[in-house]
Amino acid sequence: MGNPILIAENLSIAFGGVTALDSINLSIGEGEILCLAGENGSGKSTFVKIVSGVYAPSAGSVAIDGGRVDSQGPRAAISAGVQVIYQDLSLFDHLSVAENIAMNRMMHDGSKLVKRSTMRTIAAEQLARVGVELPLDDRVSTLSVANKQLVAIARALSMDARILFMDEPTTALTTNEVKRLLKIVLELKSRGLSIVFISHKLDEVFAIADRITIFRDGHKVGDFTAAELDEESLSFHMTGRRVSYARYHRQIDDETPLLQVQGLGRTGNYQDVTFDLRNGDILGLTGLLGAGRTELALSLFGLNAPDSGRILIGGKPVSIRSPLQAMEHGIALVPEDRKTQGLFGAQSIRNNVSSNVIDSLLGRTRLIDRKAEQALAVATVHEMNVNNKNVDTLVQNLSGGNQQKVVIGKWIARHPTIFILDSPTVGIDIGSKQEIYDRIHALAASGIGVIVISDEPEEIIANCNRVLVMHEGAVLDRFEEADLRAPEFKDRLATIISDPEAHVKHATAALTTITPGDQR
Amino acid sequence: MKTSPFRAVFNRRSTAMEKYLLAIIIGYIVIVALKNPLFFSVETLFDMLRSGSGVMILAIGVLIVLVSGGIDVSFTAIAVVSGYTSVKLMLALGIDNILFAFMVSIVVGCLLGAINALIIYRFNLPTLIVTLGTASAYHGLMATVLGTKSFPTGAMPQSLVNFGSTDLIVINSDTGRYGLTVFLPIVIAVLVLTWFILYRTMLGRQVFAVGSNEESASRLGINIFRTKLFVYAYSGALSGLMGIIYFSELKYVNPVSLVGTELMIIAAVVIGGAKLTGGEGTILGTILGIVVVQLFQSTLVFLGLGSSWNDLFFGAVLLISLGVMYYRQRIQDRKNLVFATA
Repeated sequence: MGNPILIAENLSIAFGGVTALDSINLSIGEGEILCLAGENGSGKSTFVKIVSGVYAPSAGSVAIDGGRVDSQGPRAAISAGVQVIYQDLSLFDHLSVAENIAMNRMMHDGSKLVKRSTMRTIAAEQLARVGVELPLDDRVSTLSVANKQLVAIARALSMDARILFMDEPTTALTTNEVKRLLKIVLELKSRGLSIVFISHKLDEVFAIADRITIFRDGHKVGDFTAAELDEESLSFHMTGRRVSYARYHRQIDDETPLLQVQGLGRTGNYQDVTFDLRNGDILGLTGLLGAGRTELALSLFGLNAPDSGRILIGGKPVSIRSPLQAMEHGIALVPEDRKTQGLFGAQSIRNNVSSNVIDSLLGRTRLIDRKAEQALAVATVHEMNVNNKNVDTLVQNLSGGNQQKVVIGKWIARHPTIFILDSPTVGIDIGSKQEIYDRIHALAASGIGVIVISDEPEEIIANCNRVLVMHEGAVLDRFEEADLRAPEFKDRLATIISDPEAHVKHATAALTTITPGDQR
Repeated sequence: MKTSPFRAVFNRRSTAMEKYLLAIIIGYIVIVALKNPLFFSVETLFDMLRSGSGVMILAIGVLIVLVSGGIDVSFTAIAVVSGYTSVKLMLALGIDNILFAFMVSIVVGCLLGAINALIIYRFNLPTLIVTLGTASAYHGLMATVLGTKSFPTGAMPQSLVNFGSTDLIVINSDTGRYGLTVFLPIVIAVLVLTWFILYRTMLGRQVFAVGSNEESASRLGINIFRTKLFVYAYSGALSGLMGIIYFSELKYVNPVSLVGTELMIIAAVVIGGAKLTGGEGTILGTILGIVVVQLFQSTLVFLGLGSSWNDLFFGAVLLISLGVMYYRQRIQDRKNLVFATA
């Protein structure tokens, strides 16, 4: 570790009498990558907000290069060289790429007037430092998440940043995009920038961290070098308990398919997808973002009409034209983006849970039976172990993991027979992850068919007994339980997911021998 | 690549809304001109410029508030209150000078706008609620302190009457004498100034930034209060400016008129492409939106239709143009598998 560039001493803060951070001591060296690890609510984000001047600490101090910067607002922190890339990126969708990148710097320089050419020059320079090219005049709203991330990085660099905080930068990125980002982070480090990387994806933490500082419940558990920890000990320090994901094994002895998808396709989305789902199956649908997984799931849920092939449920061909029809066939979908598609954020847990089953809650008068509704919501929060048992709590005030438990719980309340979960644990901490996996296993064991969409090999291995790898809309490869049990399978799957092109060549020969007729 | 003339002037592509509006305006003008050749004259143009000037200035104030992510319904009240205060002061002090009239009215408007900003920021209240409240409060305060006595042409300050009749160019024809109003350079100055502020100053870009995402703006160190103070004070000042133009144009000072037309003006700005969710809106779109309103208001008579048709036409344009826009957006979203509209 080089000279300490940032030193935080005895930092504490409380909100409404609840201590969010308790006497945190932390130092960051020049040109060092420090990973801040901890579960949701452990105080990582609060720490960042204090250092960046958004919150004033109730005790303690922050010094950068020996000068105190606390409680003077964001501008002072920015001047001292602190830059934060928030999880939501904090970009302006309505402004252009150039404006988003250059605004920070121009404000700081005290510019009163705006010159388009100056903005473009600043933006182009910063993007060159990151090593990418983006259309400078395009609105930020038209960019992909990965490119937005690069805009945010370029904006941060424009300020001669000395310390760059990155709050969960990889949650919305595909495996390849994560690789590119980590490469950029390492490059920035080699130029002497200090980086604080916040993530709860353990593999990323180990890939880049010089040091790892772990927070739990507002306390610092300790500082570790990357070499001192492994995945198991890291998650132990984060959660305070041993976490291991139990593997799922199908116990049901019934080969009748519940759902059959035959040669299903939709132009531009995916083509010729064939698979069966039996009772008690957990089918993993994997591949990079854009492989057609989500599009396929939406088709099964009536939101993206296929234009070829057919879907059979219980052996009978069905046409699913709307989510309502999908639900009548016993299909449930936990969508990819819980905030905009999975939940009514401004409504209570109770209303969210009952929204799916409102028909069954009607009394004799066709009015909602409030007692039954309350009972259902209470039963669901207990069953799913949502941390806040008060069902009047607004869903938007729950943490990501608990929100996801509500989404899953509200679908379980409908007793689906085919349960599709699209990226069920994105942005969710380890503890909640384990609980959600346990629920999925229990559901499958009870005899329903589950489809889990994920690009995390670990998640697929822990949950699935069959796997379908998709690439550019086509089924690239499929694996059965026997394949999954092979000891090196996780690495093999990771390789296929991250570099499908290589596998295409490799597998073309094998694929041609497996025709849909081979399906049981 | 060849640059379109539009791009050369505005340094951006025209928005879809601007194209729609232009098509509607041209189509409408052609229909009216075919029905009644009398419409196609310099007199009609001069007449519309005169009657549309005040509304145009108010609309620019509305635009800047919408861009900042707020909505202001107090601007008509501010216009009347500032204008009336100015007239009362002139009569009381015996100062009959048009510059004094503008100065007082603009300062009062600016102050009232600043009070809006202060309340909005201090109590973190929705802007609609605050301005609904202040619209009533400002008007009520004026009524109790200054009264609501109206002044006909003979009793109001002579300088206002003279100003309202000043023409830049005069054309004498068989049907009478028509002049190009002196309001026009004021309107053009307001348009140019506002364009400059919004697109060529950091302050203007910050208004867009705050309207786009307030939380992000504050994280960047943008002073939210200063930005909002500017937005509402500027909108107030424009209202004050309009108050004097309004009384001068009518040559009649009536402090209970104008209030009640604010939603129509907001609607015109929204037709012009400004979004109630903030961050979006153009000056050209606003001009076109106001032109549509003015066209209907002043030309339905050429089609032999009564003024009640005006509301119907305007409502239809609002619903159809916005409906088409948002429907196309939805189709696009569905194609991209986006089901939630932000």
